[in-house]
Amino acid sequence: MKGAPFSFLRLGLVAQNTLREAVRQRLLHLFVGLALALVLGARGLRDFNFGAPELKFLADCGFGAMTLFGSALTIAATAQLFFSELENRTALTLLAKPVWRAEFLLGKLLGVALLTALFCALLTGLLAAVLWVREGELMALDPEGFRGGRAVSYAMVALGGSLQWLRLVVLAAFTLLVASFARTQVFAVVCGFGVLVICHLQHLAQEAYTRAGSAVGVALGGFLGGMFPNFQVLSLADSLDAADLPSLATWARLTAYGLGWAVAAGLLAVLSFRRREI
Amino acid sequence: MAPALETRGLVKDFPVGLRGVKLRAVDHLDLTVPAGVIYGLLGPNGSGKSTTIKALLGLVTPSAGECRIFGRPSGEVAARREVGYLPEAPYFYRHLTGRELVGFYGRMCGLGRRELAGRVETVVAQVGMTGAADRAVETYSKGMLQRIGLAQALVHDPRLLILDEPTAGVDPVGSAAMADLIRGLRDAGKTVLLTSHLLGQMEALCDRVAILDRGRLVAEGTVAELTGGAGRQQLEVDRLDEAQVTELRAWLAARGCGLHGVAAGGRGLDAVFLERVGRDRAGGKEA
Amino acid sequence: MKSRLGLAVVVCAGLGLAGQVLAPLVAEPWRERREREPALRLEPGVAAAGQGVTLALLGGFRALVADAAWIQMYARWERRDLAGTEAFARLVTTVDPRPVYFWLNAARILAYDFPAWRIEAAGGYDAVPAAVQRAVNEAQAAAALEVLGAARRRHPESVDLWVEEANIHLNRRGDPLAAAAAYREAWARPRAPYYVARLRAEVLRRAGRRAEALAWLREVHPALPAGDPGAGAEVVLQRIRELEAELGVPAGEVYRPGR
Repeated sequence: MKGAPFSFLRLGLVAQNTLREAVRQRLLHLFVGLALALVLGARGLRDFNFGAPELKFLADCGFGAMTLFGSALTIAATAQLFFSELENRTALTLLAKPVWRAEFLLGKLLGVALLTALFCALLTGLLAAVLWVREGELMALDPEGFRGGRAVSYAMVALGGSLQWLRLVVLAAFTLLVASFARTQVFAVVCGFGVLVICHLQHLAQEAYTRAGSAVGVALGGFLGGMFPNFQVLSLADSLDAADLPSLATWARLTAYGLGWAVAAGLLAVLSFRRREI
Repeated sequence: MAPALETRGLVKDFPVGLRGVKLRAVDHLDLTVPAGVIYGLLGPNGSGKSTTIKALLGLVTPSAGECRIFGRPSGEVAARREVGYLPEAPYFYRHLTGRELVGFYGRMCGLGRRELAGRVETVVAQVGMTGAADRAVETYSKGMLQRIGLAQALVHDPRLLILDEPTAGVDPVGSAAMADLIRGLRDAGKTVLLTSHLLGQMEALCDRVAILDRGRLVAEGTVAELTGGAGRQQLEVDRLDEAQVTELRAWLAARGCGLHGVAAGGRGLDAVFLERVGRDRAGGKEA
Repeated sequence: MKSRLGLAVVVCAGLGLAGQVLAPLVAEPWRERREREPALRLEPGVAAAGQGVTLALLGGFRALVADAAWIQMYARWERRDLAGTEAFARLVTTVDPRPVYFWLNAARILAYDFPAWRIEAAGGYDAVPAAVQRAVNEAQAAAALEVLGAARRRHPESVDLWVEEANIHLNRRGDPLAAAAAYREAWARPRAPYYVARLRAEVLRRAGRRAEALAWLREVHPALPAGDPGAGAEVVLQRIRELEAELGVPAGEVYRPGR
């Protein structure tokens, strides 16, 4: 538009404000608290563990907490931060300024992405610390078992955290896409959880329809598989072994896949929000 | 010079219910607000005032017709550079202080850091909020919210201000202070579009008014034109008895004038209240 | 966008386009991951796993969910509920195929506990004809071997899985040659314990394959470190001498260590 080009500065300001508002939300404190408690308390669950080596069990609990509470936090925060702007009419004041709706909406998405980045960084750091301490204790107890030095690849832990974050960003973008046309926050939250389930299980649906063999089934499977990202691809590599670390090229592809979906859903949200009446 | 605001054949329909039956909120509205005036938009609830304002700000898309701000289609983002908007019962980001809030909106309007600090100080002082500018917005009273809202509307020095019920829920002292501010803005060359239910205040404040009903323009003109007050005058004198009134009527008739009404005098409750409570309280000392 | 329907069409088309562009980026890592994870394939075990798999896949608490299911499996094991025990054992290995522990114990339950329960349910070892008992043992051993085969696809380098397979061949199926073959596979895995080699020789010897046993020990002996009592190099050498004597190996052909 002549005279008022799209501004990344304004987008950044909206993101900064969104983040500031988000970190004050009690719901966020609750989810972060629960996730931290689970990561720290995972050592207490060791007695409950049968099969997995202890460090792998701890990592599993940590990443599980990140996925479960991270997903709930992402969906709730995205819907809440978007609808609070509409319901409290702060969007009215903001969009009456020379501000593009795309700047507003993508700023919201970036704000939630920053929030989830903080969440994942915090939990990944804590998980790494818990693993490091426990691994040290195990090394002291059984020096023979750790002849080659530390067994846990902390690069793998960091990679796991980054993939978790990618999933949460994609989830935020899809929740925002729904919110951009939804009338109520509840609807956006319910659809957000629906998207979460579909993205985790769409590959099974696709396989089932393909096996069924009917043209309609194949089309439906292709439809589901094509329109939603596959979150299983972005799931943590289930190993703490440095030998299993994916190549840089694979990591770059996974990142491009996650960010690509986030950008696509974000742009469609902008398209949908463009003519929404505030 | 283009008028500050102009609508031509503005229509806005809202679909209602699942069958999409349309409710017409604004019905072929033609409105011209000249630059440099205080323009009042009056009408009962549901008359289409807020929808008209939203259409002017590009917040809703007209079903038909067009809106222009200083000659520019209001749907353009750039057109809103010239506009400052204070919504009805504003609610701002509660965690920010008044100064941060005004600064945030200033930056959103493209003010650079260097320029911003000076502008924020100026507008915060202009609305009398200097003393409370470092408090969180969540601690503000309604009157303070209105004033900090006006500050954010003014921060980028727009030529046009759209104020939606700026005195709603504000006590008479705050209302009077707001009215003074609005007059000052007009005197500084700004155009002010105002909506309010306080007809007395609008009468005293506006240069021109438009009255809407069910989305249609039913009257437009200066206050005097609409009230029939052009060519008339009101005198306030000491109490006269019946005979003296008759004598005055005859005296006026001999000079070709009529006596159109006799009523009890006095300053009115507003004036007494303002005098006793004190106008200087509106200067940012409010809790 | 003129209508909501039009918007919906555009959004769906946009998502479909994004899917077409982005899916090829991860086709290869996805194929690899899917091959390693039974839970990511539409197999009968996955369908039976139901909510447990869903929870594990969505929540990421695979180890916790698997452990909870393992406790459930034991509750059924105590009641000798064959169907329930097997279903939960399969659920556990589907949800979390990473620990070898689950696979091994699932196979042992199928191979050893199930035949006992089935025979006792049919009247006991004294009442059930030997042929029927053999058939039951054979069927359960086959089921256990199938589990071990699935486990090896996930843990190709596991020694324990091959050792367990050898034990089942030997103890349940009475097939020492199959057991010897399994011990050979176990010995070929990295970090295989030394006793595996000795066990293979012993199984071959008991099966009457003394020449094969001797050849095997001759092949293995040079790899055994002399100073490590666990390696049992001396024991192996002694066994070689015994076999040579039993087989009447000429003096010129006896095994000479270090040659």
